[in-house]
Amino acid sequence: MADSSAPKPSSSVKLVLLGEAAVGKSSLVLRFVNNDFQENKEPTIGAAFLTQKCNLPTRTIKFEIWDTAGQERFASLAPMYYRNAQAALVVYDLTKPTSLIKAKHWVAELQRQASPGIVIALVGNKLDLTEDGTGSGGDAEDAGGEDSGDARKISTEEAKTYAEEEGLLFFETSAKTGFNVTEVFTAIANAIPETSLKTARGPGASHAAARTEEQRVNLNGPRDPNAKEGCAC
Amino acid sequence: MLNFSSFVQKAQQLLEPVQGLNLSESDKNPSKASLFQNQFRLPSSQHPLYEITAELTIPPTNATQGDRDRDRGYQYAGKLHLSEAFLSFSTTPSSFLQSATTSTSSIFTGQTHGGGPNGNGFTFPLCSIRRVERLHSQNFQFALSISTWNGISQDAAKEKDKKELREQRVTLQLAGSRQACERFCDGLKKGLRANVGNVAKLKKVTAECYSEYLLRPDDKKNAAPPDAGLGMLFKYPGDPKKLRDRAKMRLWAEYLRDNGRNTTLIRQPTFHKLIRVGLPNRLRGEIWELTSGSLYLRLENPTLYADTLAKFSGQESLAIDEIEKDLNRSLPEYPGFQSEEGIGRLRRVLTAYSWLNADVGYCQAMNIVVAALLIYMSEAQAFFLLSALCDRLVPGYYSTTMYGTLLDQKVFESLVERTMPILWEHLVKSDVQLSVVSLPWFLSLYINSMPLVFAFRVLDVFFVEGPKVLFQVGLAILRINGEELLDATDDGAFISVLKSYFSRLDESAHPKSENPKLRAVTKFQELMVVAFKEFSGITHSTITDLRLKNKDAVLSNIENFAKRTAIRNLGPDSKLLSNDELGALYDRFYGVLYERQQRDHIIKQEQARRAKSSRSRIAEAASEGSHSVEKGRVGLGPSTSLMDYDAFREFLAGMCKWAISDSPSTPQRDAFAEKEKSFYGSFRRSDTLLSPWGAGPEPAEHEFLQRLFQKWDTDSSSALTLQKVVSGLARIKGKRDIMGAINYFFELYDDDGDGKVDREGILRMSEALLFLSRRGLEGTLSPSNSTLTLSGDSTNGPHGDVPGQPVSERFLGSVSAFIRRCFEYADPDHPKNQDNAVQNIQQKLGSTQLDEPTTGEELANPDAFAIGDDDDDDDDEDEDDEDDLLAMDSPTGSPKAAAKKADNPPPALQLNSTEITPSKNDTEVRRRVSKAQSERANVALDPSNPLHITLPTFRMVVLADELLEHFFETSFPTSFHIIEGLQQATPTSASSLTTFSGLGIGARPAANAGAAAGASAGAGRGLRGVLDNIVTDGMRVAAEVRRRMEEAQKELEKNALAAGGPHQQHQQQGKQRGGANDEDEDDEDEDDGGFDRASTRSGKSGGAGGLSSAYHGDAERRSVRSSDRDLLTGADAEAGDEALLGSQAGTVGIEGGEGNSAGQPSASVGGGGAGKVVGVEFDG
Repeated sequence: MADSSAPKPSSSVKLVLLGEAAVGKSSLVLRFVNNDFQENKEPTIGAAFLTQKCNLPTRTIKFEIWDTAGQERFASLAPMYYRNAQAALVVYDLTKPTSLIKAKHWVAELQRQASPGIVIALVGNKLDLTEDGTGSGGDAEDAGGEDSGDARKISTEEAKTYAEEEGLLFFETSAKTGFNVTEVFTAIANAIPETSLKTARGPGASHAAARTEEQRVNLNGPRDPNAKEGCAC
Repeated sequence: MLNFSSFVQKAQQLLEPVQGLNLSESDKNPSKASLFQNQFRLPSSQHPLYEITAELTIPPTNATQGDRDRDRGYQYAGKLHLSEAFLSFSTTPSSFLQSATTSTSSIFTGQTHGGGPNGNGFTFPLCSIRRVERLHSQNFQFALSISTWNGISQDAAKEKDKKELREQRVTLQLAGSRQACERFCDGLKKGLRANVGNVAKLKKVTAECYSEYLLRPDDKKNAAPPDAGLGMLFKYPGDPKKLRDRAKMRLWAEYLRDNGRNTTLIRQPTFHKLIRVGLPNRLRGEIWELTSGSLYLRLENPTLYADTLAKFSGQESLAIDEIEKDLNRSLPEYPGFQSEEGIGRLRRVLTAYSWLNADVGYCQAMNIVVAALLIYMSEAQAFFLLSALCDRLVPGYYSTTMYGTLLDQKVFESLVERTMPILWEHLVKSDVQLSVVSLPWFLSLYINSMPLVFAFRVLDVFFVEGPKVLFQVGLAILRINGEELLDATDDGAFISVLKSYFSRLDESAHPKSENPKLRAVTKFQELMVVAFKEFSGITHSTITDLRLKNKDAVLSNIENFAKRTAIRNLGPDSKLLSNDELGALYDRFYGVLYERQQRDHIIKQEQARRAKSSRSRIAEAASEGSHSVEKGRVGLGPSTSLMDYDAFREFLAGMCKWAISDSPSTPQRDAFAEKEKSFYGSFRRSDTLLSPWGAGPEPAEHEFLQRLFQKWDTDSSSALTLQKVVSGLARIKGKRDIMGAINYFFELYDDDGDGKVDREGILRMSEALLFLSRRGLEGTLSPSNSTLTLSGDSTNGPHGDVPGQPVSERFLGSVSAFIRRCFEYADPDHPKNQDNAVQNIQQKLGSTQLDEPTTGEELANPDAFAIGDDDDDDDDEDEDDEDDLLAMDSPTGSPKAAAKKADNPPPALQLNSTEITPSKNDTEVRRRVSKAQSERANVALDPSNPLHITLPTFRMVVLADELLEHFFETSFPTSFHIIEGLQQATPTSASSLTTFSGLGIGARPAANAGAAAGASAGAGRGLRGVLDNIVTDGMRVAAEVRRRMEEAQKELEKNALAAGGPHQQHQQQGKQRGGANDEDEDDEDEDDGGFDRASTRSGKSGGAGGLSSAYHGDAERRSVRSSDRDLLTGADAEAGDEALLGSQAGTVGIEGGEGNSAGQPSASVGGGGAGKVVGVEFDG
């Protein structure tokens, strides 16, 4: 909010999160927006909407984040949410090979169906469950039932190679520890081409949006804890 | 496996979705039964049997509510309905007679004040009625006094208690003619008698209702109360004081005491008012169960929940995995769901439902809904309520495509547009998608959007008044926030307005008002008032109409999306095929599955109808409102995406000529099906009623198809997914690489994957080659240019250049050369065995015989052996092989008799006699003999002398023959007509399937066809198959000719010409046959029988051609056994479909012609038999 007086140009970017159920999409957003983590996050029904600002040296980007439901049958709703999106976070679970397959499907769909020039980031989440998890929080706590400490099933190489082939940004994160989360969003903000940025959609929008800023807006209802001050990068 | 499926089926019947709301075909014309079930929330087993206008009188002792009329109590005029197990009364003046108009049947307005969907009245299960007396004292002609088990059944009450308990007794005065009244009473009497047995069930079910405990006298309350949900253990949400739970409970206790409890409850206006102000915690579950009708589902099968869990215990499924993911995150803030107890209950209910309704399985949001239900009700109650939700209240919401959800979003949008045009315009202008906001409201029934206490208030009304409540509340939310929403210009702002509104629902709606009363009104109360007053015009029929209007668009949207996604995600193999091909494959794949399901359904229905016809006539009439559940359509969530072997055959028959059967519906087919049953459990038994293959051609059955299926079925699950089909086809068609194709073919026959194919395999390969080529080869081998492109081949023999030399004939030669070469270059497995092999032949033969599986295809072996045998005798010249084959195919009639008697006949002739013999044992004997002879002649054929070929050998052998090379290079891959299908492909590319005129020309095509038919038969079932083909084809010619004769005049000429061909030939054969052996009499008899069946069948499949339209005639058709009748009906049905049929008829006719002309050599006898029959039929 303090930035609102800053002269830097500000623009909003619509970002959509896609990925298999329970890979941690909502948790990534919660970490990014509220710097918070909930062990048992209710599954997203339909989609949740949140906003968060990201300060770059030259400009401010306001992310309008659409966090979608992951279950397969909700897939047909996805076009409703990725419509006009300028960026997408395709999330998979490092400990679940099927989730990468699903992620590839999403990438393919976005490349064909979403607006051209969409910036896609491939994100492997739950790094805290792996050995190299830069865990500041209690990692490997529930590592898929086994206490081996490393539940990683998808190597960094494999995913990275794929991301390079498809021209995606690539990150491994932990929403639980917060590792690499803001980096993802910063990288996306940087990758959005200047030309595709419009300044806020009109006076009405900024006025209405002012109320919603920094607040977790979620269709899951008012039982969520009150929004905390987000981390602006 | 079988047990499970039948169990599930049974269970599904019990919870069968109700048509009126299920958006099926019957939407537009919902059956009376479904409307009836809807109005009274009855299970789908109930049908409106009798109805009569009546007046309900509730005696004053029972009527404590509102202003009472001390003298007469309460009176309601309305309609009394009787179904199999329920007596229902409603003030809503609806009628469900067959003669009633749809609008009178579908009155379902759900007036908010007093009415509710069922109006005032009652829904008594007949087993809850204790006594019915006829009263004479009344003014009306007919008055019944009905007393119920209310409060009595529970504790076999002592006399004293009984006195304390007021017996529930209502009076019904029937208004109608004496006759009508009598009839109704008769029906009631019968129903009561039939339902006496259900009293025990009733006791069990009501014992789980909290009301029974609540109304028990205090001195008996020592027993533990029934389970009223997790709330009893973990507290109910909200502050009971603030909710005034105690006061509500008192009111309800009073109401229930006066008006009956659970199954015997009578709905009066107070009932609906009490619901509107919110249900008390401990009764909430029970009233939900009652008003949604799930109580009646539970009453119908009280143990279904426990049974389902027990039946599937320990099993795993995708749904269970998905459920597990969400268990810890369903209403996690409610303490009950942080405990093992609560999570365990949730797990069990969701799992049981996913088993019961595997089509739906599990959908996120169900976890939240069920979690909410479990706070107020027991597991079993929640389970049945979930069924009622998914099937009736919010149909399609949780299906795999969520079409119900998407559809209702469209409906909601059009309601917003209609009721709030300014807001709507604003939404459109600012490009805000309403459903982004509203979808979660509907999907989670507001549980996830509003604070729980308020969401439950919405649910209270929702269960009694139906889905329109969701719309009313949604509209009210937008209306109340209208001004703020008009300021919001993007999704984000829009959402935040509503979110903040939801969080303030408990605040005063008018905080600044002077009037303290007004100030006390909360935002939620305001919401309810706006929803049910201002939007009272939104009725159930509004919703139904709008759903109907938007349904198609929504479904096709979903289908397009599903197709696009599916095609994109078919894996790397799919890149080998073009997008068009993938699209076509997708359509074909799901088309076949859909068709089959529809057919299956119709057949089942037909069976059910037949079963029912033995029951009372009324029941039948009532159920006649056809239950055509639209299933399998992708948009509705395909109930299967797996293709079993039968479907696979049908699928191929739509694309490949060779996959179409030569001899549909011969008795032999059934035998085949019987045999296969052990391998593929899903084999349907062939139903004589309807062609199991619908309008399409009957698919062929051949070992090759089985191998292909197994090959494509990479994980051996006996079912193919689209992905497997695509991968399978991509390997054949995608690469266009001859080596790949050859390797692929080899792998098909390399059972153990050791790179070797043994003797048996070689013979099977050659059979398959013949099978695939029996309708001619495609691609570059079309008859016109093949002689040119293959001219190189002609150097091998004189036939190559002869214009009359058809490709298929030469292919036959190539195949026999193939076998010979294979044996020639094969590697022996155990060379040392060779020495004593010959001596042991006879001895070992028997055991070999036993070792071999006795499949039908096995019969083909002698044929193949014979070919090899002949080849071996000759030298390597191709033309010689052909000569041999031709010779084998064209024996004269006379040697046959000799062959039969001779102990040591020439192999080819021996084969013929083998095939002619009808008895199987006989066949085997002969076969053994012939085999022995073959073996004597050729060491390579000795079974005790194992040998095999390897891939390089196979490749070499294939490449050595130009025709085979071409086969693998082009004609095999191109024989899959993925995009265009067979409809177009048949007339253009058929090399041997000539047209009628072609047949008329004379000998050449006939010979050509003969070879093809011979080949096909040899490939298919040995010579026995040839015979059958010829016979049945002859019959089909006859049937077709006959049918066509009866068709339009303009066709006549052509037909006559066409018919002339085969007919003449038949005659000739008949003559020829005159000199043949006597034993054929048996065959002839058999053939006659077969003919009847065949022609009947053709009528049937013709009928199936116009399936939907001609279907009504079916019952009639069934009753008439005469084949003539069937033919006529068939012709009628087909008349509408001329274009398609013309070509089909053409093919059929020609096939027949081929069969007969081909018959001369090996089976002139059979042909003769058919010829005779044809003659008779023709004249008649």
